[in-house]
Amino acid sequence: MTRHARTSAIIVTAALLCLLPTAVFAQNNGGPRMDHENTLPPTPTGPTPHTPDGHPDLTGLWNGLADNLLGVPNQMHNVGIEVGPDSTRDINSGLQIATWPLQNRQRQNNEQNERAATLLRRMGSNRPIYKPQYWQRVKDFDANSNEEDPSNQCMPAGVPRVGVPSYIAQTPTYLIFIYPGQGGLIATQTSYRMIPTDGRKHTDLEQLDGTWNGEAIGHWEGDTMVVDTIGFNSTSWFDQLGGYFHSENMHVVERLHRDGNTLTWTATVEDPDVLLEPWTTTPRVALLNPDPKAVLPESLPCSERDLAHVVTKEHH
Amino acid sequence: MPTRANLTKVSAPTVLMIAALAALTFQTAAAQGNYAKASGSAKNKTAGTAGTAAGPNTPDLAKTLQAAAEAVGLARWSGVGGQRLPEVDVINTMEIWATGTTYGLGQPYKPSEPWAAFKTEFHAALAYNPPAMRLEMTCTNAGAAPQHTIQVVREKYAWDESEIGAGLVPGKGTASPSMTAANYRLLELWILPYGVIKAALAAGDKTKLSTENGTAVLTFPLSGQLAGVTVKATLDANNEVAKVESRSENTALTDMLTETEYSDYADHGEIATDVKSPGHIIRKQGGHPVLDIQVKMWDANNPYLVFPVPENVKKAAAH
Repeated sequence: MTRHARTSAIIVTAALLCLLPTAVFAQNNGGPRMDHENTLPPTPTGPTPHTPDGHPDLTGLWNGLADNLLGVPNQMHNVGIEVGPDSTRDINSGLQIATWPLQNRQRQNNEQNERAATLLRRMGSNRPIYKPQYWQRVKDFDANSNEEDPSNQCMPAGVPRVGVPSYIAQTPTYLIFIYPGQGGLIATQTSYRMIPTDGRKHTDLEQLDGTWNGEAIGHWEGDTMVVDTIGFNSTSWFDQLGGYFHSENMHVVERLHRDGNTLTWTATVEDPDVLLEPWTTTPRVALLNPDPKAVLPESLPCSERDLAHVVTKEHH
Repeated sequence: MPTRANLTKVSAPTVLMIAALAALTFQTAAAQGNYAKASGSAKNKTAGTAGTAAGPNTPDLAKTLQAAAEAVGLARWSGVGGQRLPEVDVINTMEIWATGTTYGLGQPYKPSEPWAAFKTEFHAALAYNPPAMRLEMTCTNAGAAPQHTIQVVREKYAWDESEIGAGLVPGKGTASPSMTAANYRLLELWILPYGVIKAALAAGDKTKLSTENGTAVLTFPLSGQLAGVTVKATLDANNEVAKVESRSENTALTDMLTETEYSDYADHGEIATDVKSPGHIIRKQGGHPVLDIQVKMWDANNPYLVFPVPENVKKAAAH
């Protein structure tokens, strides 16, 4: 083989190897879904397993890494915009939203894609109602999120911004929730929560040092796991976007309900210091990873390197 | 200069390298999913459907509405994980700052003179889901104290605020119900360029497309609270809404012809969104100028804007 031929062969081999992940990924039906034809919640299938104590078993990998905050379809699902094949609906207000067929889309470059994503993530009508004296602050936080968003400094997402757990382990007396660190919409550290379900009561709020995830206690209401959390710091934001700050008096009630291979999660935020009324997230529906051998991969450490180079207010 | 022998010697590896580069190019294209395929045919295909479930079904009308929606950045999609999602209407909330002149309706100092003019600072916050608007104006006339007003509407509720968000928490201003103004204020939303496109889509088969002086004209009725209002919108050569005429048979509104002209379209937002908004707005009612403003900023990035209805306003509406 000549030197030229060897060089060419190496290039061809490299190119073919580059193609492999795409091909493998396209076949990964049971794993993370990186592309979507809609933002509709998955339809439940199969029975709901129960533990020996009679409660639904929430144990499992729920949508792995890719189906929580990563990608515009997930983010639209999270804010309640249901995009179907030929119609779109805001599930909070019920408003039908104009939709054009896929084959008629205009061409967009990457910059236009990003700018459109900024709008798509914010078009939902389900917004927390702050007291009027805080309206401008919320708007300013969102507009200046490149500097203001704690996640842009690699801080933990906190509860409930962290969303649906990617992994749940369930015992008779406690739950373990794991949230792998991720990039994408917000960049967060890996975090975990150990949630007692043994009937204990909360520590007195005055005795708690505020933390990102707070003090969580779980109990069952029928087949729904209710996780009640207090004791937060006031540093995190409480939804995926929007500059939704809160006080140390925030109280979060999460509800997790398993139906077959789906897990529906909502969080209600009460914060009488800053909110006019309690606010509940739009339900997020996660899908069980069907691969019994699936494991959570290690998350890369979060390292902020972009902020110093940002010259506009364009943001996620 | 290469000889023929050299060229031959070089060409075999070159072919392989081209094949390799082609493979890499294919991967890049594949990463964009159906984007390239779809966009390549979009302009040539008939827009068979558009809009809501009750969307228009006349091909030319559908194409015109889509072109108008795309021209102002209302119809959008994103390939960030959504390469196979359709275009949707992304406009919900907007905030506008403008300066210019308003004219007192039917208030000339002498019958032969134009209506009284006021220097006006104009600040509007609006939403389409649910339909709502907060219009804050400071009007100044020579020798008179500035008049500051905050007028709000949300669906059937209308009220005036002594300060933004008045009447929602104790000790923070007063909200004065103004129910009879609800429809008139709500109409403002639907004669803005985005409201025109949304309403024309929602009107479905009732939206008619015609051509006047070589430009497309959309005519459609509004519905719900604004039933009885007919809107006629003229598009410019860029498919942007250039002129809107509205006339009402509803006695709760004026039956005067309202004509609004929009020009100087650009992305006027602090944060770039590719949403084009008019930079200059002129309005006449009954042939008289009532508004002439230059836009200073038009934030279209769906900012946090909320319109909770004060309890006393709800009670007033119930009576």
